[in-house]
Amino acid sequence: MICWPDLSLPALLSAVLLALAPSFAQAEPATYADRVAPLLDRNCTVCHGAEKHKAGLRLDSYAAILQGAESGAVVKPGDLKGSEIYRRITLPTHDEDFMPSDGKPPLGSAEVVLLEKWIAAGAPETAAFEAPPLPPVVVVPPAAPDYRSRLAQANELARTLGVQLVPRSQVSTDGLIVRTASAPAQCTDAVLAKLAPVADLIVEAELARTQTTDAGLHAVAAWVNLQRLDLTRTAVTSAGMIALAPLSKLEAINLTSTKVDDQGLAVLQANPALKKIWVFASAATPVP
Amino acid sequence: MISDPHDPFAHLCSDHGGEHPSVLNLPYVPLGLKQEWLELETRRHFLGRGSKALAWAGLATLLGRSAPHLLADTGALPGLQPHFAPKAKRAIYLFMAGAPSQFETWDYKPKLSDLFDKDLPESVRGGQVLTGMTASQARLPIAPSFYKFAQQGKAGHWVSELFPYTGKIADELCVIKSLYTEAINHEPAILSMTTGNMFPGKPSLGSWLAYGLGAINEELPTFVVMTSKMPVRTNVQALSNRLWSSGFLSPEYAAVALRSGGDPVLYLQDPKGVSRDVRRAVIDGVNDLNRQLFERVGDPEINTRIAQYEMAFRMQTSVPEVTDFSDEPASTWDLYGPKAKEPGTYAYNCLMARRLAERGVRFTQIFLRTWDNHSNLPTNIRAMAEDSDRPTQGLITDLKRRGMLDDTLVIWGGEFGRTVYSQGTLKPDNYGRDHHPRCFSMWMCGAGTKPGVSHGETDDFSYNIVKDPVHIRDFHATILHQFGIDHNKLTFKSQGLDQRLTGVLPAKVIHDLLA
Repeated sequence: MICWPDLSLPALLSAVLLALAPSFAQAEPATYADRVAPLLDRNCTVCHGAEKHKAGLRLDSYAAILQGAESGAVVKPGDLKGSEIYRRITLPTHDEDFMPSDGKPPLGSAEVVLLEKWIAAGAPETAAFEAPPLPPVVVVPPAAPDYRSRLAQANELARTLGVQLVPRSQVSTDGLIVRTASAPAQCTDAVLAKLAPVADLIVEAELARTQTTDAGLHAVAAWVNLQRLDLTRTAVTSAGMIALAPLSKLEAINLTSTKVDDQGLAVLQANPALKKIWVFASAATPVP
Repeated sequence: MISDPHDPFAHLCSDHGGEHPSVLNLPYVPLGLKQEWLELETRRHFLGRGSKALAWAGLATLLGRSAPHLLADTGALPGLQPHFAPKAKRAIYLFMAGAPSQFETWDYKPKLSDLFDKDLPESVRGGQVLTGMTASQARLPIAPSFYKFAQQGKAGHWVSELFPYTGKIADELCVIKSLYTEAINHEPAILSMTTGNMFPGKPSLGSWLAYGLGAINEELPTFVVMTSKMPVRTNVQALSNRLWSSGFLSPEYAAVALRSGGDPVLYLQDPKGVSRDVRRAVIDGVNDLNRQLFERVGDPEINTRIAQYEMAFRMQTSVPEVTDFSDEPASTWDLYGPKAKEPGTYAYNCLMARRLAERGVRFTQIFLRTWDNHSNLPTNIRAMAEDSDRPTQGLITDLKRRGMLDDTLVIWGGEFGRTVYSQGTLKPDNYGRDHHPRCFSMWMCGAGTKPGVSHGETDDFSYNIVKDPVHIRDFHATILHQFGIDHNKLTFKSQGLDQRLTGVLPAKVIHDLLA
């Protein structure tokens, strides 16, 4: 007898779904084209493809895979143990022969199982074979539009305004950081307004010690993809916080050493996106 | 070796017996001679670097200054950005030089109290070679910790009574008990920890970060080192600028070491009768000459020289501002303790580190030495803890309340562990501990590390790791990861290798430490 203690309907549903999950994972028809080729493309063909063919091996077509490397076959249909590719991807990661090499990420366990099932089923070119589905890929929504085509514009803008516009990372949809630490005093409300052409690219604004006032926050409000905003030691007040209300992606705001008080804090707390608000040495009562 | 008890530098360690700090620290060497030594050193470096110089010629000319501006007008990917979005923008590394004992600090071993003065079982030691300091001891008697432990906070870390302040913020800490290294003596071990390699000549962690990520604030150095006044005058460890050198990277990525007394940086003040404008004009003139020389011979070291003149000039304004503590609120002194007002103390350096981090210094490394307790460990380690416990907690609390702990990584630890057995005579309240590379404890905090985690386990003797070993390479890979850097991709060609901080052996990011 199983007891269900106080489970709400959604919790109950998810419990049921979890219980069902393994049966989904059991098997699903897969084909070389649908599943194996994309897997090899993700993990292997950078070195074993059209551009490079290390060890004389290409893994970018069915024929090439069966042809193997200089040293011989890498896939022997139906013979898992005799398949060099399987041996290599299942070695300890520190082994010299381990693939992918050069510190590239190892195949996920579901990916290894897929190759295993394919080879064991005779490595068919078109026929379907049974394999568990891959776990769903978590798609992280881009933080901002692709910056690549707009770098020149951003660079020129930053130069004229005396601030820096720094990509958060080499991932071109990670957005730009407005950085002012080298010359915070040069960053005025007028400068913030002039950043409008790149407004949608800005994900983070380091405005500590700048000349930003409440008026400047109206410009900031147009930075629709803004996630983090540092206003430490600026002249902003509670009145300015209202302007920030539309920022639906704003996760963290730093108001250390500002005049913002509980009124401003309340305005910010109404924004469901905001997870972190720092008010040390401000006029607001710290949030526990 | 005869050691003079009145000599502050007298030392029991065989590997650096009597070794003094750098020549430059010696009070009786005339200033002129020191200067000459420095110049010769520079010349040696210059000649030695000739071969690798061209490798970064392109980079140096491209950048001019080291900050990662958007470089390309072509839409190509910028070269000096993190590989992926970072959690850490800056780090403060509290380097406990000399190697604090894990037994009295972070690796609680309750079963040892029943084994006082018993011999260390050979099965535990497993034939390990010991240092010359204890290899000839007739016995290896087990020394339980003189200090008690209690669980703190929600996470329940076992915290030593030596750290009453740090205990209050235990829930913030991610404690690793399973670090290990190959080196059993200080110099190779501390080099491994700071540069990833026990041989001198490799860039330090801070230099790699400066090279890889550039400056946040161009008015201040990207990498700053501070050495702290020593709370104890025995077991003194030598520290040298090898530990914060840029190795084969351009010298502009080496740390600027702030001095612990007097002017934090020498010669920043304008000489009498020389105005700032005149200084500027002189530097412009020198830079012009250097540029002409660069056009003629193309040696990128010349660009470095220009960059350093410029940095020195900018520091004339920025350093006095950052080192003037008069704008600190009263609560600062409550946090860091009264010693924070005395320049050069560990407490002062912790406060300085926060001020530097606030202004965008990427990597600040504070060295606190004399943890090398071969003898009189209970007394000495208490003095070390009393000097450092409150400021450490103060720093983390201060960073947290200012919203800075979110993107500032704080690291605490030394270069190896210490032995479970006593070096020299064992008494319940007095003993010493020798070097032990097979396991040691450290902690990290902030910037996306997982608070409250205790990672890795050692055996009942804290002699061997029984769960989740973390090599220094893995530790470094993890730090770089928090800065958005794939440790395999941050490379520099030197001596025919794509050199990297983590070296050629496999290293892995320890994801269990990360939130």
